[in-house]
Amino acid sequence: MTVPIIKVQQLDKIFSTDDMLTHALQGIELEIQQGEYISISGPSGCGKSTLLSIMGLLDIPTSGKLYFEGQDVSQLSIEEAAEIRNQKIGFIFQQFNLIDELSVFDNIALPLRYAKRPLRLNIINDKVDYCLNLVGMTSMGQRKPTQLSGGQQQRVAIARALVAEPSILLVDEPTGNLDSRNSDQIMETLELLNMQGTTLCVVTHDIRYAEMAKRKIYLLDGQILGQTSFNDECIP
Amino acid sequence: MRKLILRHNQAWASLKKKPGFILTVLLTMGITLGALLCVVTLNYLLLVEPLPYPEQDRLFVAEHKLIGPEKETKAIAFTYPGLVHLYKSKEAFEKASIMAYSQDVIVSHPSQPLVNTAYVTPELHQILASPMAMGRMFEASEAMDTNNPVAMLSYNTWKKEFSGSADILEQKINLSGISYRIIGVLAENFVEAELDGIGRETQVWMPWDYNQTGERGRQSFGNISGTLNFLGQLKEGVSQSQAQQLLSPLVSDRWQEGVIEMDFFKGWSVVMLVTPVKEVMLGDSESIAVMLLAGVMGLVLIACANISNLFMARTAEKQRQMAIQAAIGATKKHLFQAMLAETGLLMFMSIILALVLAQIGFFVMQEHFEQILPRVNELSFNPITFGSAVLVTVVFALFFAKLSTWMVDYRSLNTTLQSSGKGSGLQVSKKVRQVLIASQVALATVLVFANFSLLKDAVKTINAPIGFTTTNISTLVLNFASTDFPTQEERLPIMAEIKEKLEALPQVESISQSPSPLDGWGVRALTDVVSKERYTPFLNGVSHTYFGMIKQPLVQGDNFTLVDRQDRNNVMIVNQSFAKQLKADGDVIGMKISVGGPDPFKIIGIVKDIAIPNATPTGSDNADAGVPRVYTPNGLGSQRFMVKVKPGMSVSREQLGKLLSDVDSRYSVYSFDAADDILTKSLFVEITTAVTTAVLASLVFLLAGIGLYGILSYGTQLRRFELGARMAIGATRKHLVSMIISDNTKAVLIGFVGSVVLFALAYIGLSEYIQPFLNWQVLPMIVATIVLIMLVTLFACYWPLRQYINKPAIFSLRGSD
Ligand SMILES: Nc1ncnc2c1ncn2[C@@H]1O[C@H](COP(=O)(O)OP(=O)(O)OP(=O)(O)O)[C@@H](O)[C@H]1O
Ligand SMILES: [Mg+2]
Repeated sequence: MTVPIIKVQQLDKIFSTDDMLTHALQGIELEIQQGEYISISGPSGCGKSTLLSIMGLLDIPTSGKLYFEGQDVSQLSIEEAAEIRNQKIGFIFQQFNLIDELSVFDNIALPLRYAKRPLRLNIINDKVDYCLNLVGMTSMGQRKPTQLSGGQQQRVAIARALVAEPSILLVDEPTGNLDSRNSDQIMETLELLNMQGTTLCVVTHDIRYAEMAKRKIYLLDGQILGQTSFNDECIP
Repeated sequence: MRKLILRHNQAWASLKKKPGFILTVLLTMGITLGALLCVVTLNYLLLVEPLPYPEQDRLFVAEHKLIGPEKETKAIAFTYPGLVHLYKSKEAFEKASIMAYSQDVIVSHPSQPLVNTAYVTPELHQILASPMAMGRMFEASEAMDTNNPVAMLSYNTWKKEFSGSADILEQKINLSGISYRIIGVLAENFVEAELDGIGRETQVWMPWDYNQTGERGRQSFGNISGTLNFLGQLKEGVSQSQAQQLLSPLVSDRWQEGVIEMDFFKGWSVVMLVTPVKEVMLGDSESIAVMLLAGVMGLVLIACANISNLFMARTAEKQRQMAIQAAIGATKKHLFQAMLAETGLLMFMSIILALVLAQIGFFVMQEHFEQILPRVNELSFNPITFGSAVLVTVVFALFFAKLSTWMVDYRSLNTTLQSSGKGSGLQVSKKVRQVLIASQVALATVLVFANFSLLKDAVKTINAPIGFTTTNISTLVLNFASTDFPTQEERLPIMAEIKEKLEALPQVESISQSPSPLDGWGVRALTDVVSKERYTPFLNGVSHTYFGMIKQPLVQGDNFTLVDRQDRNNVMIVNQSFAKQLKADGDVIGMKISVGGPDPFKIIGIVKDIAIPNATPTGSDNADAGVPRVYTPNGLGSQRFMVKVKPGMSVSREQLGKLLSDVDSRYSVYSFDAADDILTKSLFVEITTAVTTAVLASLVFLLAGIGLYGILSYGTQLRRFELGARMAIGATRKHLVSMIISDNTKAVLIGFVGSVVLFALAYIGLSEYIQPFLNWQVLPMIVATIVLIMLVTLFACYWPLRQYINKPAIFSLRGSD
């Protein structure tokens, strides 16, 4: 068996605020292999986003281990985490998180500009054009995000997540802000990307979209309730 | 009511999470409003509050104005017989009093202190209705020509010199050989009508008859003295100008009669000036007070701009919370009330701090500004202080609350919520922010630069070379405490012995029997024997060792000799400035100058100018022109000595007192002061200015810094989600810091350009004031200002960013915390 892209062991996350402790994640065990398409679903507040943030090195676990491509990344410094995010992880958020002042083109180029080893300008141009093409936005490169529809914005976000050729795409409620037609298009795009080899981990509470994944994970109160693989039945 | 308390509890709970914010608002508003309250109270006291005397609006000071042949003002000062004549005439005034100010030593006191004295007629304290702590004030039995030796003490003198002794009224004190019975002590709350300079407190009051003018001086209409004063209460219905018209011929006729024999006063005339006592007491302090007020208003404006920025930033921060409140039905009014609870609370805390600081300010002013501002001793909280405190609290609380809610676009608050906090609900546009940054930078640059310049000027005066040395030199002036004055011949052996004993002291390096360059000067009327041209330079009689001891270089000719002093030779040394006045080429050696006596003086030497701080030449307003000075050899009976001690050593007043009384019991120490101390005292205004501007400059810089920080951190906070997004795709700290800096640099540069424009505008309007500042010396100050502002900017870029870039990216991506 190859080294999994992400391996989570006995992962706990506790949020402490002034007056209470929230055990957002408890004893999570999870492996994501190259080329997989995983969905994470569960009721609101069960810890989906928290899990995704930790796997994407946006947040740090309270305890437990996290391996990225075999490397222990549970205790990385902020700078080291930034580097891995830049090179190996693509994020797609519910609220797009595009940068309004930058053009669509520059938004997509941004991860390449943050790269540790800067790329030549024409290479950046080629890569951005390729990604724009991939999400069907070729003609919109010079627009500002505010001049796009929600669905278009999300496609730009996907392009931006892809441009640095990450090992995995982490997607949190990609369709939360979109109508059903746009949502379907986005999910189809993602599915297509997976078929072309991109590893995908999608958080969604929409049962239809969860079903599209090859492996489905159910979270409840911070714990993995069950997993189903492509042809399996639910393991309680 | 309960609702109000609840609202304030909520406000406090929400504020408590932001100690930095509270502290910034508290310090900024507390300090500036403290200064404001202090200065407002001062202005009220000086401009509005009546003097604490009955009929104070009828109290006037009369002055002699001497006018020269070319209609120029020669002096505003009385002649002794002129003053007595005016007093006796009883014209125009219902009650009038005359005063002579002086200093003397209480020789009967164990420590023989030098005190400020005033010789007055009894009417003075009646007119002022002076409150007494003990005993009585002067009465008819102490009126003019009664020769009744009694004295009153000031409250402080009683406390300090007589340790508040209860039986003070049975004691006697001896000054200049006369024993005075103490009949009263003025009350602590007595406010002296300070006519002889701000902050000069009369310590011992004595009847007019004992004033120190000699018998000849009492008769001479040529004896003009600045220490003589007249204060009276005008008759009902007599106006200031009527009084002037009434009195002028009266004094003028008598004076002309008196000087008919004196050639020097040919073509001179006299008029009376009658001025409200308040005006004389306040001097030009009104303009100081108003300028202080203007300065503080400026500070309040910057502070206000800064705090506005901070509140805007805070609103931006609270957008989500407000959106939620709006979503569940809070109206705009509710939001305003919630905001008002916060601003009200903050302003309340600030004003408490301000009141405390104002009280400290009063104390500081009383301690340090006594010599600059009149009536500071009366400074204390009054209804005006509290009224303005309440007013500013309410106005600022309303203003900040209004401003904060004004920037909330209420209708789009809901969008804020839906778009999960990207902040579209309220953003001051990038352009507005850039304008704010630029104007802050421009304002700060101009203010910091202006303050630097003021500071530099004051420091320059303080550090200006004086042209002589004061190191280890003290001035000793002898006091003769008896009424039977020795003749010149009797005095010579006494002074010779005193000099010898002084030289024998182990601490003493050398003695010069001479006044120091810091005292003994008098303006003298001199005439060039050949051209008959008249001059009025400063004159001092000095010893042959004088120039050597103070290291004032002789540039031409010869110094005096001991023989010159023994034989009272008519020789004279002039300084370069006077030499230039006498002759354009300054070659004046051998010229003959008359000082009024039968034999003229021959100029034998020229010395370099000295620059005694704040001494302006007579008859010239130009401070840069050298002061003309002449020196003649003093006699060997001179009672002034310069004492140069060995490095690190000192001589005490007591030790000298003993030495003197051993030689002759009638002699005691009049004054013994280190020349450095006298110099520092004469620089008091400059030093105070330097300290005040330094404090102001740092305050301005602090406020400007806070303002810049406020607006920059506000900008950064607005970009929180953007920062989060950039971090999510791998931006490192370095990327983000350099992005924020380069984004703000443009605005900062525009700000610098703006400050240049402001200066250009100021230059067009005020070129005559600014011109003298424009030289290469401003260059380092410009650089220093810019570097300082840059450093603040860099700090203000980095510091607010720190909370985002040093935490996991998720912190920035999430809306609330
Ligand atoms: N910063 C935080 N501080 C305190 N508690 C938090 C924080 N972030 C999340 N939580 C808590 O952790 C739990 C999991 O939150 P999370 O956002 O992961 O839920 P979710 O499954 O993504 O829900 P949703 O479907 O509504 O997005 C929740 O109970 C939440 O209250
Ligand atoms: Mg979530």
